[in-house]
Amino acid sequence: MAASPEALSRRRSLGLLLASGSSLLLGGCALNRWSAQVGEATQPLNERIEGLLQGKGPVPEFRRSQVEPEALLVNSFNGTPTLAPGSYRLAVNGAVRRPLNLDLATLAALPQRECVIRHVCVEGWAAIVAWSGPRLADVLALAGPSPLGAYLAIRSADQYFETWDLASALHPQTLLATHMNGAPLPVANGAPVRLASPIKLGYKQSKWVTGLELMTSLGDRLGTWEDRGYEWFAGL
Amino acid sequence: MRPSPLWTRAFHGFNLLLLLLMAASGLEIYNANPVFGGREGATVPELFTLGGWLAGGRDWHFAVMGLYAVNLGLWIGLLLRRRHKRLAGSGDLDTLRASVSSPRRRLASHRLTYTLMLILLAFSLLSGLAMYKPAQLWWLVSLFAFAEPAGFSSWQTLRVCHLATIPAMALLLVAHVLLSWRVGGLRLLRSMVF
Repeated sequence: MAASPEALSRRRSLGLLLASGSSLLLGGCALNRWSAQVGEATQPLNERIEGLLQGKGPVPEFRRSQVEPEALLVNSFNGTPTLAPGSYRLAVNGAVRRPLNLDLATLAALPQRECVIRHVCVEGWAAIVAWSGPRLADVLALAGPSPLGAYLAIRSADQYFETWDLASALHPQTLLATHMNGAPLPVANGAPVRLASPIKLGYKQSKWVTGLELMTSLGDRLGTWEDRGYEWFAGL
Repeated sequence: MRPSPLWTRAFHGFNLLLLLLMAASGLEIYNANPVFGGREGATVPELFTLGGWLAGGRDWHFAVMGLYAVNLGLWIGLLLRRRHKRLAGSGDLDTLRASVSSPRRRLASHRLTYTLMLILLAFSLLSGLAMYKPAQLWWLVSLFAFAEPAGFSSWQTLRVCHLATIPAMALLLVAHVLLSWRVGGLRLLRSMVF
């Protein structure tokens, strides 16, 4: 190869670029501050692909014998609130014809559904859990939802806040679970009522749910963790 | 020796950068819940991670994922269409088994190594997709149920396999550089990267 000075200088500059790039990477910290911007730049495309993948059809379920009770870890944002079952009310309001305050007996009178699904945490662990309770779609239907409703805000007793796209909320396997693995829901897992769904990451599945609000558009707050940097759609 | 075609060099440089970003952001995600040991498990030193925290690591990992898939797909496609004789085949295994000629054996090992690297890169993409969308791609996750008789859930097997692509790739990379050196010397190495 006839090495011209020009080629050498190009190679040398490329080499310098590569070396400085990798040392930046190993330093880590220099790139860390760009994480949020990198996420914002690519999430719209990723969300579009996620939306395409996420059909309305059901996700295959597991057998009850595959449940992994010891694999289900407990995360809590703000302690463990204890709600008295007798005075518990689930508020359903927003863009609905009949705002409601439902007690546990009303939820128990709705058709009950059990879903044996994989609960996947954003941290990386997962556990197969059998959730049961009424479908979220059936509960919303009681309140007469407006056709303009597009998002659902979910409030919890510990001030945890979430918003969902309505299609995911109305998915046939999205439940307002009152039971876990065949027993009443333990307090640590969200008693008396929590969200459970095979199509969302764990942090979307609020525990100790006390309020549902149908919204026509998203407000300033997307969710407790989303406002700190987690992705909003978080589909599986 | 003339420099390799521009697209070959572009793939090498770009792929190396993407792999470093994917590995570092992947280790950041690992630290949120270590695959080995869970919450009590040992974490990777911050020096080797990218993102600053779990959400930042996921931002990088899922931002680079698409570029990585496109780059790898284009590369494999080009190799298959335009340079099909470059990929290893059963002929190379025969050479390793039968030939006593060192240069021929080296070339065969070289071709086997980089073909394995491409397969491993595709595997890291598929195992990552399975973890990214386990509900929609449930059939991909179920491929990892092979260790269930030994008491490992398909999810744990999937996590171990996806993580294992980092050390496996590092080993193959060392072999690839050494073999390139033996086959073509420093000039081949330089003609491939710059």
